[in-house]
Amino acid sequence: MKMIEKIVNPKELRHWDGKIELYWIYTSGKAGDEFFKKLKDEEKFIAAKCKKCGKVYFPPRIYCEKDFGETEFVEISGEGCVRAFTVARLDAYEKPLEKPEIYAVIDMDGTDGCLIHLLGEVEPENVEVGMKVKPVLKPKEQREGKITDILYFKPV
Amino acid sequence: MEVEKISGLKFHKKQDVAIVGAGMTTFKRRLNETGRELSYMAVKQALEEAGMTLDDIEMVVMGSAPDTFDGLHMKGEYLLDGSGGSDRPYMRVFVGGGTGVFAPIAGYWHVASGLADICLVVCEEKMSSSYPHPQSAFKYIWDPILDRPLNPNLIWIFALEMRRYMHVHDIKHEDIALVSVKNKANALDHPCAQVAGKITVEDVLNSEPMALPVRRLDVSPPSDGAAALIMVAPHIARQVTDNPVWVTGVGWALDTTWWTNRDLYFPRYVAEAAKMAYRMAHITDPRKEIDVAEPYDPFDYKELHHMEGLGLAKKGEAPILTREGVTARDGDLPTCPSGGLLGVGNPIAATMGVKACELYWQLAYRAGKRQVAKEVTTGVCQAWGDLMQVGTVMVMSNKR
Amino acid sequence: MAVGKKDIECPPYAEGTPLSDEDIKSGKVTYVEDHPDIRYSWTAGQAISRFLNGLKEGKILGVKCNKCGRIMVPPRMFCELCFKPIDDWVELKDTGTVQTFSISYIDPDARPLPEPIIVAVIAIDGASPNMGIMHILDEVKPEDVYIGMKVKAVWKSEEEREGAITDIKYWKPLEG
Repeated sequence: MKMIEKIVNPKELRHWDGKIELYWIYTSGKAGDEFFKKLKDEEKFIAAKCKKCGKVYFPPRIYCEKDFGETEFVEISGEGCVRAFTVARLDAYEKPLEKPEIYAVIDMDGTDGCLIHLLGEVEPENVEVGMKVKPVLKPKEQREGKITDILYFKPV
Repeated sequence: MEVEKISGLKFHKKQDVAIVGAGMTTFKRRLNETGRELSYMAVKQALEEAGMTLDDIEMVVMGSAPDTFDGLHMKGEYLLDGSGGSDRPYMRVFVGGGTGVFAPIAGYWHVASGLADICLVVCEEKMSSSYPHPQSAFKYIWDPILDRPLNPNLIWIFALEMRRYMHVHDIKHEDIALVSVKNKANALDHPCAQVAGKITVEDVLNSEPMALPVRRLDVSPPSDGAAALIMVAPHIARQVTDNPVWVTGVGWALDTTWWTNRDLYFPRYVAEAAKMAYRMAHITDPRKEIDVAEPYDPFDYKELHHMEGLGLAKKGEAPILTREGVTARDGDLPTCPSGGLLGVGNPIAATMGVKACELYWQLAYRAGKRQVAKEVTTGVCQAWGDLMQVGTVMVMSNKR
Repeated sequence: MAVGKKDIECPPYAEGTPLSDEDIKSGKVTYVEDHPDIRYSWTAGQAISRFLNGLKEGKILGVKCNKCGRIMVPPRMFCELCFKPIDDWVELKDTGTVQTFSISYIDPDARPLPEPIIVAVIAIDGASPNMGIMHILDEVKPEDVYIGMKVKAVWKSEEEREGAITDIKYWKPLEG
């Protein structure tokens, strides 16, 4: 049996099925915890301002990415403008969605940062770049301290 | 792996490389901070010690082990902002557990080649994200077809290696347990330690069996943490400090992944890596010329195994040196004065904090209560990983 | 660039906020839990396909490199030392020698096993020295296993075999 006698019958070639059975718990971290708790308990949005250069980070961080200066948390309105958007008609598994979903990058007012989230109470053909939007939160008892505590952003 | 290939290497460098600052977070089983935040904390401390700001940093090397722990693909990219890597040449390196010394080796390339005069090296690990247990993530380093159907736990391969080492040299578990006793006691003086303590050999021998001969107290714990180092060219070192520590040699090597085809009693991967590093550092008799050592100690037998691979002890002699107190902090060859992974914790790549960073602090006489008793000039640190096949070695000296 | 700090004890401080399991469960901090469904299908390739097909027939197959003379198992299509294609397939024996072993009390998730199991590296007879595979030992008490012990494969019945490493149920002592 020489090496050159490779398996030519594909039925004799084998494969092995498996899956990764892990799951993960991601803590929100120092800044994230502050952000989500404010959102959940007080319906307030916070950003983080660099004490050195004044850049305002959203979502908040404990440090400035550019100069590693410390930051301080500042309250913001939570409103913003649509910077870019896309209309999703397929889900993550490429199955057609019942209703198209609009995902937008939202420039958060009073910050240098953005958030990706859903747009609601608006039809895809009516969305425009630059449109003012504001957040719609879940009722307090349903909020868990997650990004999905924001249901969507709607036109102001 | 042929010896000739290693000894045939030529070492060209543009400039010498010094370390001028280091930092690390606390090591704990679970930390609230994200990996980015931990990286930032370690870097901030290193910058403070060096008297630098992020503006001074030219290039950044990030070291982090398998993505499965943090549960984030492209972990290097995820950690970018907390590592000070934005808008700079930035790269992630990874050789499993060997990363803690491999990342500073990559930092060395950056500066020695002349590409950068100031390079920041950051290592991070957040193993606590992985469930049901960080060890579960290790299941996916096994061969999916030949090994995984047997339901292995990663500790198996260490237990198999430890048994082989004990068998060939007729070593008793009592002698190996002394390493755990020593390192956990050393860690009492480390502010970042996770599992420091005064324990006895009996405690180790009576601790819960995991995969015999490995028992609970033979093993380092999974941890979260980060560490950072700043590596610079000579003219920068002169500006910021009177006592830089020089990197005089680096080496790395991998043995075959067919690990069941190797005799596991001796770590050839470490021996080959050490040969390269010693040759670069002009060290011919490591036992005499090395004053302090930080070999990788995720398991107690590993410190002994690696001392032999590093040529700090003859084959089978490391347990004897340990029993005689040679490797104690006040001994002739202080080994793991930091408290090591066994005492301080094992956030895989971030163990740079107790290997490369500790060696730097020892040679800069900044280790405080952990400072070894003897006068030190030259030291070696080493890490080990992948499918127990990689050795990464760095030699440092406070004399140029 | 300023001059760095001198005469400090390093690390000067320990930062980070430890959490317990309880802190997570009780919701002391916010977090996200994700259970992704990630599936894979790994091709076995030429060498391991043939190896698995051999196991189905109750045979352990190795390969030979005529340059270095090594007979290797598990089989591979190239000799990694000579870096050339292998030359022959060789049927090995289903006996071997324990090179090293461990008694495992834990499963892959670090949970205790109901009964400890014995795992070993077994050098296969007919292959070059040190050519081993990892497998399970049974029909022997943990205290009776020793390095150098001769062992023999215990196969699943022909109908049960599916061409997997687990077609060998375990290895048992050759004598006794």
